[in-house]
Amino acid sequence: MDIPLVEPGTVGPCPVAPDALQGIVRQQTNPARWNGEGWPGFVAELRTAGVDVAESASARGIFATDAGGTAYGMPHGVVVARSAAQVAVLLRAAQAHRVPVTARGGGLTTEGESVAYGGVLLDMTGMSRVLTIDRAAMTVRTEAGIYWHGLAEELRREGLDYLSAPLNMTSSVGGTLGVGGIDVNSARLGCSADQAIALQVVTPTGEIVECSDSENAELFQRVILGYGQFGVITEATLKIRPYTPLSMHYYYYSTLREAIDDLQLLDRNDASDYSGILTIMDCAVNLLVAFDSAEREAAFKANWEKQLRGHGEFGFALCMVGHYARRPWRLGEALYLLKRKQAVFPEFRRPEFHRDGRMDDRTVVFSRAVWKHWGSRNMVIPDLATTADKFVEAVERGNAVCRKYFRHYTLYCVGIKLRADHAAHYEMSCIPPGAEGWAYGCEFEPMIEGEVYSRDHFQSFKNAIYDIGVDMGASYYRFGGMMKGYIRRVFGDALVDRHLAMKRKADPAMILNRDVIF
Amino acid sequence: MYSSAHPREYPACSGCSLCRLVCPMWRARRDPRYSPEGIAKARQNGAEAAELAEVLDACTLCGACDPVCPEDIALTDMIVDLRRELELPPDLAVLQVGYQQAAADASAAPAGALLLPGAALHADAGLLARVEALLGLRAAQDDGADLAVALEIGGDIDPVRKRRFLAGLEGRSLVVGDGLLLRWLRRELPGARLQGLGQVLGNLPAIRRRIASADFYVIEARAYHADQPRLVAHYDALRKETGCAINLDLQRIAVPPRASGYPGLRMGPSAEDLAQAGWMLHGRQPARVLVENPAERDLLRRVAGVPVLHLAELADA
Repeated sequence: MDIPLVEPGTVGPCPVAPDALQGIVRQQTNPARWNGEGWPGFVAELRTAGVDVAESASARGIFATDAGGTAYGMPHGVVVARSAAQVAVLLRAAQAHRVPVTARGGGLTTEGESVAYGGVLLDMTGMSRVLTIDRAAMTVRTEAGIYWHGLAEELRREGLDYLSAPLNMTSSVGGTLGVGGIDVNSARLGCSADQAIALQVVTPTGEIVECSDSENAELFQRVILGYGQFGVITEATLKIRPYTPLSMHYYYYSTLREAIDDLQLLDRNDASDYSGILTIMDCAVNLLVAFDSAEREAAFKANWEKQLRGHGEFGFALCMVGHYARRPWRLGEALYLLKRKQAVFPEFRRPEFHRDGRMDDRTVVFSRAVWKHWGSRNMVIPDLATTADKFVEAVERGNAVCRKYFRHYTLYCVGIKLRADHAAHYEMSCIPPGAEGWAYGCEFEPMIEGEVYSRDHFQSFKNAIYDIGVDMGASYYRFGGMMKGYIRRVFGDALVDRHLAMKRKADPAMILNRDVIF
Repeated sequence: MYSSAHPREYPACSGCSLCRLVCPMWRARRDPRYSPEGIAKARQNGAEAAELAEVLDACTLCGACDPVCPEDIALTDMIVDLRRELELPPDLAVLQVGYQQAAADASAAPAGALLLPGAALHADAGLLARVEALLGLRAAQDDGADLAVALEIGGDIDPVRKRRFLAGLEGRSLVVGDGLLLRWLRRELPGARLQGLGQVLGNLPAIRRRIASADFYVIEARAYHADQPRLVAHYDALRKETGCAINLDLQRIAVPPRASGYPGLRMGPSAEDLAQAGWMLHGRQPARVLVENPAERDLLRRVAGVPVLHLAELADA
């Protein structure tokens, strides 16, 4: 087979294109391991500059994989980030010695984007301190390696909260701003990346630059939602707000279409503060709706609740009994739903996380449940991000793929309010081209539940989901790493080549987060 | 969770990093090696105890990582087991021998319910007398202080000594001051009625009614985390009833005031301890700080700037 050589840091033949590897099942592949040329000189230069490089297997092994657990790679060494100046020294040396640098926050990628296939792994969690809280401006300045949960712990001592963040306690601020960040209030407040007011960035060539929509705006646009290609975020100024516990309501549906219609109805009409869909397969579809204030909750009850077609828990249980009574051959599915309900529902109602019927911290509640009842050694979560009008079709087609590949799975759907003034931020990101008003995302997550699946099975599943995205002109949250072959297919050569040219200019040795996008 | 096998050990760690969020050792250093996850991953990559000695010494054994691990890995046990493979810290080995001698010289424990005060409370005769009076219990002269030190430093426990100690306690109602010993006794004495000293004192009306909404209440982390699913309700009730603030984070994990290894055994707080105690109190403006563990009083007095009282002192306050 004639495999053309590809210059490091450029885009080679698409391994997942329909015409690639004809007759061979498309398989995920780790990028080639960097050969280590230049490593001794790089380490010597860093040590001379007082930068500690850990090279033991035990230190490197912490980062052998990411949350996905299907990509494995070992860096040659690990540097724990301590300051922007230290990161600048590292990046300058990396350019000179052409050493790949993989920046990592919480490591919650699923396609190996935060796995280093050689080179140096830059652990950003070493920079995780809150710097200042400005109550008057309602902003916080924080080091970007901080976990959102760590930020919440600090803000809550002051009676404050962040606006929106992923429902996972170990997501980092910097990592999230680089990819988007979706919360159940994103339909109202936008993605987490839209909450960033200003950033301190260390460019791939080692300059420390402050950027925002008004200062070095082009860099800001490229770093936000930029998948780590144009710099390492070392500090961030974020919007914050007064903390309020939230009151949560759940509505249950037996069809995805009705639940999605109702979700979009609420989003369009600003009828709730939080909204999202979480399912047990396509059998029990849960629309969650929540409020920061009694006034908003009362307005919802007066104006919108009656329009929802979902049931309460008891009413839905009756529907299910009727449904499965007419389909006794699907008793196994019914028993699974019941078992899953008994395991998961109490997690969302644990009394220690509620006061007076209101949920104290949604991220703690959801993240605990995610890790306990969804997490496993492999987290395979392909997704589709579409415009509002295409969303139902995308979810239904993705759901059919899930049914084909796995016995059990879950879907998580949420809207993302878009900011017209941030259109430049959204270019070549998870926000689908052409989306206006809202974008919608759906994650398709198989329940592994102790079963063993091959990587090929996972990859075939992911390809089937991602092919829907190509067909529908959608985008993905997780298009980097092992799925980067889809980038040209969804965004087209012209846009990708324009970004590649910008990347080459910003990162001449193509060392920063290599193989994530380019 | 990908397997239901128990006991769960380091190979089950999938690297979720949730333990880092509650780990004082990590918070003080922000280095992934200094965390239960870092230790588990190092073990998965072939590291032996000796290579991890510095990290193992830094762990406070506060147990905060155990209840948050989604894989139910016995992380504190993992660290204690690894400490057993290290050379004993000479100063602490001497301490253990001293406690062993005291245990050998101790008279037999009185009949009935019993207080095992632990070394810190034993060292403060006035406070111990006050606790005894409040509880109406006599303190055992042999309260297993040598065993608590052995558990902490990874020292050997002589089987004869262990048998003799446990034989005197089986089937009794016990109030235990040392969190690590309490955790161990729960496993060794499944038939005994075991309670932590802080929990028992906090339930006394004479004390509970004196806890005010302006107080900051410091739970003893080891006893709490060893029984967190049950005790979280106890402390939630305490908070609701008194209005006091408690050293519980958003996950309802107790924030310990120390961040360096062998808390209470070595003299003087480290810089990490002072920073950790400062973090525990950050953003709080209490009128008083109330502690369950007398060993934490001196440290908190250095950073709190307000009176720091043991719960037993509250009865007369």
